[in-house]
Amino acid sequence: MATPGGTFRGDADSFYLPDFCASRAAFAVVLIAELIAIVLSIARQSSTVGFWGELARGSLFLLWVGLVSAALLCWLRPRLARLEVGRGSAAVLAMLTAVVAGISAGVSLLGRSQLVAGVGAGAYFPSQLWPFVARNTAVGFVIIAVALRYFYVTHQWRRNIEMRAAARVHALQARIRPHFLFNSMNTIASLTRTDPALAEQAVQDLADLFRASLSERHQTITLAEELAIARTYQRIEQLRLGERLQVHWDVGRLPGDARVPGLMLQPLLENAIYHGIEPRPQGGTVTVTGERSAELVSVVVRNPVNERHAEREGNRVALANIRERLALLYGGRALVKAGRFDEEYIVTLRFPYMACTPPAEATPGSPEARVR
Amino acid sequence: MLTVLIVDDEPPARERLRRLLAEVGGVGVAGEAASGREALQQTVRCSPDVVLLDVRMPGMDGIETARHLSILTEPPAVIFTTAYDQYAVNAFETRAVGYLLKPVHKDKLAAALAQANRLTRPQLQRLAAAAGEPGRTHIAARRREEVRLIPTAEILYFQAEQKYTTVRHLHGEDLIEDSLRTLEEELGGGFARIHRNALVNVRHLERIERNPDGRYSVRVRGCAAALPVSRRLAGELLERFKI
Repeated sequence: MATPGGTFRGDADSFYLPDFCASRAAFAVVLIAELIAIVLSIARQSSTVGFWGELARGSLFLLWVGLVSAALLCWLRPRLARLEVGRGSAAVLAMLTAVVAGISAGVSLLGRSQLVAGVGAGAYFPSQLWPFVARNTAVGFVIIAVALRYFYVTHQWRRNIEMRAAARVHALQARIRPHFLFNSMNTIASLTRTDPALAEQAVQDLADLFRASLSERHQTITLAEELAIARTYQRIEQLRLGERLQVHWDVGRLPGDARVPGLMLQPLLENAIYHGIEPRPQGGTVTVTGERSAELVSVVVRNPVNERHAEREGNRVALANIRERLALLYGGRALVKAGRFDEEYIVTLRFPYMACTPPAEATPGSPEARVR
Repeated sequence: MLTVLIVDDEPPARERLRRLLAEVGGVGVAGEAASGREALQQTVRCSPDVVLLDVRMPGMDGIETARHLSILTEPPAVIFTTAYDQYAVNAFETRAVGYLLKPVHKDKLAAALAQANRLTRPQLQRLAAAAGEPGRTHIAARRREEVRLIPTAEILYFQAEQKYTTVRHLHGEDLIEDSLRTLEEELGGGFARIHRNALVNVRHLERIERNPDGRYSVRVRGCAAALPVSRRLAGELLERFKI
């Protein structure tokens, strides 16, 4: 099966048949065989052996077919997965039909043997060899073909859903507002003449920010690194907004080595500036405060509320995204709260403190230092 | 020589346009403004030929500013500038309105200046609707050579006269040219039409009275006279305030 994240681990997992080596699958095979045996017994209630007799022989036959097929599929799966879908399906169909035919023939022959006649169980076995084998093979062929089709369609459907989910997560992740990109480019274009050194700094900052934004998902970084990314973002916005933007950082008490999902704080700062500062002619102050109690780390971002624009779509998407990623990392122990209080919009993140040990080669505090 | 007013809330953006204009040549910078309000004052003071107007500005945005500029007796030509704004760019594109994308290219700036046009008021009105402008923050009224901006929150009511519309606001009265129908459309739910010739700001509505003849009239805060409510609109008004 594919992982919940939507990545496919090599060939074996892209094959559409389920993995019959798993105990759950084997149990499902037993269950389905029994259900079919019951249905068949009810349907044809023969006078010779009665319902229970019918059920017993049907079960025996179907369990043999089901479990032998499952064992073969389990054993051959890696080889089948390497074939292209059409050939693989044909091979499976031929193989399983052969299993049905083989077991039917075996049952018929067993029925004629001295062994069965000796215990007087002849009534439980088919009287004729070839008609019995031919009938079972035909029925088996049709049922196997339908089952393969079913597995194929469900697999496609599931893969489709997973791909869509993966695309959505990716789209959310790599999202730095285009508006920000083009405005920054404009600022840099201006600075190249008036203050080349500052322009250089801005290009480096922008590169760091996009590197962080484009990095692989499912990554965690240290809180110190995340704070560095947020400050990089602030530096770029500061060039453009000048004195209108004030950011008050009160994060000295935060543990720098706490493990957080990458780009957790930066989008909050971006939203605070985009919704809270930019629309205000007089500008304003964004406050970022951090606390750490024994077990919990909390970060609070506050910005003045802008009367004209109510909460916008982009803000809710960003919050939902952060909430989702914190939940992936910390389960139910993380909390994201957002709301308006008086003249301020306040976002609170709270999550358990888990230290992450940075790898030896990475310099602590630089945005490049990543920990898996 | 062509004179240009640069309007952008970001200092580096203004700085760059100023430099580009110097490189284009044959153009004089008449001034710079950091907001829509400042742009109006500067335009009245130094009457530039062209205004380079940023679309996204705090307070009053570029498109609204352009609409206020258009009430001047000799409005300047307008070229919008924007870093990224799909709606506005689509609107400019389909209405053949001059615009430049930031960072602005020098040759595109020169080309835009060469064919800069004045925008008509109906054109601007459609533009504002297409660009998804959040609604007007001000109403502009011209008094001799001065433009007066009245914040929509301070407006008590509009009353249509023969040719003009009177705006009655907290600090007096002004005449504007917009029709009640466009005002009603653009100002939205905060205003209620009570008569063919009157549009009232709901937040300043004091009470609705029933006269002895069965007709209704409304009292607006700070105004002595009662405004008559037409028979046709009375039901709607009473329904709205659940009376």
